[in-house]
Amino acid sequence: MNVLDEIEASIPALRRYARGLTRDREAADDLVQDCLERAVAKRHLWRRDAPVLHWLYRIMTNRHRDDRRRAGPQLVALDGLAEPPSEPGGQEARLDLREVQDALLRLPLDQRQALLMVSVEGLSFDAAAKVLDIPKGTLMSRLARARAQLRLLTGRERPGPTKRRAK
Amino acid sequence: MMKPMNIAEDKLLAWYHGALDGAEAEAVARALAQDPAAQALVEDWRQQDGALTALFAPVAQEPVPPRLVAAARPARQAGGLRIAAMVGMLAIGLTGGWFAAQLSNGATKGQSRSLADAAIAAHETYVVEVLHPVEVAASDAAHLTGWVSKRLGHQIAPPDFAAQGFRLMGGRVLPGGTGAAAMFLYENDLGRRVSLYVAPTANGGETAFQFTEAPAVQSFWWTDRDLAYAVVGDVPRAALRAIAIAAYDQLI
Repeated sequence: MNVLDEIEASIPALRRYARGLTRDREAADDLVQDCLERAVAKRHLWRRDAPVLHWLYRIMTNRHRDDRRRAGPQLVALDGLAEPPSEPGGQEARLDLREVQDALLRLPLDQRQALLMVSVEGLSFDAAAKVLDIPKGTLMSRLARARAQLRLLTGRERPGPTKRRAK
Repeated sequence: MMKPMNIAEDKLLAWYHGALDGAEAEAVARALAQDPAAQALVEDWRQQDGALTALFAPVAQEPVPPRLVAAARPARQAGGLRIAAMVGMLAIGLTGGWFAAQLSNGATKGQSRSLADAAIAAHETYVVEVLHPVEVAASDAAHLTGWVSKRLGHQIAPPDFAAQGFRLMGGRVLPGGTGAAAMFLYENDLGRRVSLYVAPTANGGETAFQFTEAPAVQSFWWTDRDLAYAVVGDVPRAALRAIAIAAYDQLI
């Protein structure tokens, strides 16, 4: 498979990652398109030391970050966010998907990227750190913080004396 | 109330993600068997991953929109690119040479040299302008940074050369075949002008400073990752070099 074929074969995974970065479907596909165009134009820059897909994840991460920087401070519509769950979720209660999605979008971007790369895209710590251009230790601490925040936001960990600090 | 867990959370997380090797992984697994609080945490993580997978895995099963398939396939007509390069050259004179070189054959060795030529051409075109040397003035610095960053697709703020005696006048975006280039113009108290030219580069990587002399001006240029830079001016070589170093230091 040449690079162009591999780029095309990566589209489904790129759409999945984009949907985790931005909730809006169209905006997510815009991000994918931007990433693909850039990758095709710069395909000779792909170095064989990493899979094409990881290189594409990296391009998308950077494009998304640049887009957000350009757009200025992020405004989050309050009614788009879930209220903290009113009923404490027990260990046996399954997580509500909508609630998890809302919580995910409330995570700081760097934590969300780390979580998506490892949990959804299934990358190893080393590969994810490379995609995000951060040391492995930083990746691990962002991932740990993302998971702790998610527990808090989905009511798995109630504020109080038993609260584990999200570093 | 459950007893607090005895396993370090980062170690547990590494174990959970399969990032520990044999002996260490076994040790964590043994400790986990005795640690209800840690078990509960791992169960929470499993639930998180289950929910995230349920949310996002189906996206990869959806049919791919045609516009994305099209975006993954380069324009087949090389002729179209060449015409774009010609238009670029017509529009901006010699500056097009850099992009034409970039378009014709991908990354080549002569490319960086063409960058210097393009930067010098841009410098000579605009530095003589008395009324309109720049498109966006330095007084509107935030707008200038935002505009240039947007057009080049990279966060680029004009560096400060005050220590070298030059103040920013402003900048402009120059058209190109594969991407826009930017030029920032600076002036000192004597009315001498230097420019900094920034363009996306195809060959990437880092190069050392290179020096080029044209009849009226000289230039130091280099590439750093995705961007190529050139400082151009009719100032002594040592002064120009100091400016290039200042730019290099600030543009990381």
